[in-house]
Amino acid sequence: MDGARLGLSRDNEFEERLSIEAAQKDPGRFAELYENNFHRVYAYIARRVHDRSEAQDLTSHVFHQALANLGKFKWRGAPFVTWLFRIAANSIADQAKRKAREQGNTETPTTDNHAETELEVSERRAHLFRAVDKLPEDQRRVILLRFAAEKSVREIASELGRSEGAVKQLQFRGLENLRARLSDKFQLSNTNG
Amino acid sequence: MAERSAIDQLDDAVAAIIAQREVDLTSLDPDVASLAQVARELRGLPTEEFKTQLKTELTRRETMSTPKRKIDPIPKGYPTISAYMCFSDAPAAIEFYKKAFGAEEKMRFAEPSGKIGHAELKIGGAIIMLSDEYPDYGALSPQTLGGSPIKMHLWVEDVDAFARQAVAAGAKVVRPIEDQFYGDRSGQIADPFGYTWIISTRKEEISQAEMQKHIDAFAQQQPYTSSAQGEVPKQSSSTYMREGFHSVTPYMSVEKAPELIEFVKQAFGATEIFRTTGSAGGMHAEVRIGESMLMIGGGPGIKESPTAIHLYLPDVDTVYERALQAGATSLFAPADQEYGERSGAVQDPTGNRWYIATAFETTEWPRELRTVTLYFHPIGAPGLIEFLKNAFGAEEVMRHQSDEGYVYHAKVRIGDSIVEMGEARDPSQPMPTAIYLYVEDVDAMYERAIKAGGTSVLPPTDQPYGDRNAWINDPFGNVWYLATYLGTSK
Repeated sequence: MDGARLGLSRDNEFEERLSIEAAQKDPGRFAELYENNFHRVYAYIARRVHDRSEAQDLTSHVFHQALANLGKFKWRGAPFVTWLFRIAANSIADQAKRKAREQGNTETPTTDNHAETELEVSERRAHLFRAVDKLPEDQRRVILLRFAAEKSVREIASELGRSEGAVKQLQFRGLENLRARLSDKFQLSNTNG
Repeated sequence: MAERSAIDQLDDAVAAIIAQREVDLTSLDPDVASLAQVARELRGLPTEEFKTQLKTELTRRETMSTPKRKIDPIPKGYPTISAYMCFSDAPAAIEFYKKAFGAEEKMRFAEPSGKIGHAELKIGGAIIMLSDEYPDYGALSPQTLGGSPIKMHLWVEDVDAFARQAVAAGAKVVRPIEDQFYGDRSGQIADPFGYTWIISTRKEEISQAEMQKHIDAFAQQQPYTSSAQGEVPKQSSSTYMREGFHSVTPYMSVEKAPELIEFVKQAFGATEIFRTTGSAGGMHAEVRIGESMLMIGGGPGIKESPTAIHLYLPDVDTVYERALQAGATSLFAPADQEYGERSGAVQDPTGNRWYIATAFETTEWPRELRTVTLYFHPIGAPGLIEFLKNAFGAEEVMRHQSDEGYVYHAKVRIGDSIVEMGEARDPSQPMPTAIYLYVEDVDAMYERAIKAGGTSVLPPTDQPYGDRNAWINDPFGNVWYLATYLGTSK
């Protein structure tokens, strides 16, 4: 997986190496790496694990592991996120095995047949998640309440003190904006999320 | 109205997507369908709370662990393991190690009285920690405990120079500095505080296989080959001997036992292992010289039995000088002898004779002798040899005699020990002596010795100190304390 596919320019790569080295010397600097990679890791996990609390647990696990083992990370040319993905993939597989054992389920967890496509899809999704933060505030709040908090239009309307119609409209405008931001960077695809 | 309907259409699709229901995008207006596609990818969008909370968690963990990470759990400059030594006089010990070993004082915490609670010394690349005695904390010195089961091993650049410096500062040679089969030149010295130091300089790389070969060969010679000078000390594996003893231990009886003990310490670097004084003033003491034991008994009015000892130590000239300083009189000054050693002789203030020798490096035969070897001066040595054979199953190792049967020098093995003898040829001789002899079965040996011509003084009797003892006199005036160790628990 080369850096270009993950949208990493040489400058970004340089910045990332600095962040890693800084965090290795001073774990207090891990926040930067977290901010830069949270959505990627979360998206990667959420794509495979559809239960929200499970996805959150796994994401949390991945970052805790990464922090604990940061000293062992060596730059070998691959972006930092691929290291996080490897931790994530292992964690997902472990969890699946554990669940299979608990439930007497012999079904094996899904594996990456097309790792690069997987990474690309995750990257695209992370980009989308990040784009939510850049939406106009009222659209951002509606999108978050709807997709993250998974609230109904009625609940959102009452929480924001707006009409249901206004909420639906903000949702529509928000998705339009996100589509635009996505197509700036990626071709819209039919990849199933 | 079309837009209004598109908004509703999209919301229906979003509701289905969130509920993880299938949505047929083809049934939608194309623009709505492409937005529903975006909505589909948004499903599972992480909440801001989760992202923030995890960040807080990670950051808290970071700040909590930050100070821990900055402290090296193994402080720089410290080896993983260090001896923590206790001394009856720690300040004196520090001074000694500075002078003797070139130690460097790194740290000292002392009470106003000077009593040391904790100090650290650097010797070469090692650190030793030490303190004075604190009985409440279980800190007791070897002097209080009566010895230390742990010996210290020290690698040094030049073991001979190191030993000289240490001895000059007051250390005693326990085992001479010698080239060892395992490629080191090493020896053992005792400091004045009850610790023994093995000091070594690597001279040659010897493979483990080669060492094992040597050890195997050595083991095959058991029990007859002694742990001669500088060799691996032979532990008495026999259960009928007390730990550290060999078959033969000379027993010196003198009126002034403390004087003799002091002399062997000063002159020969002996270590006092044990001393007890009875109510009538009678004393029994045990000292160690090299790997050998010596018993010293005494008290007012005791029948003195001066003994002759062949004593192998590394530097005969120095030992000779020390012996004279300690009050001995010279019998003859050290000189190279044609039979392969440099030797001199002294008589100590209590009348014992010490033939002090350092074997030439090329000389093989002293290797079967221990540091302390008993030397008989009987009248009629062949008769004594005969008696030893009959009474104790001794074996003649060598005999050098004239055609007339005058024995100049003979060696006889008793159990795991060798004793030497030479015909009496001096007005002060024959020098009958006393011998503490460990045997496997004291009762059987007692019977045998009586049959061979010995006279019973005490039949076999269990003693409170763990030995079963019998006491016989031989026809040459020597006293034999036969003993079998039964163990302290019996």
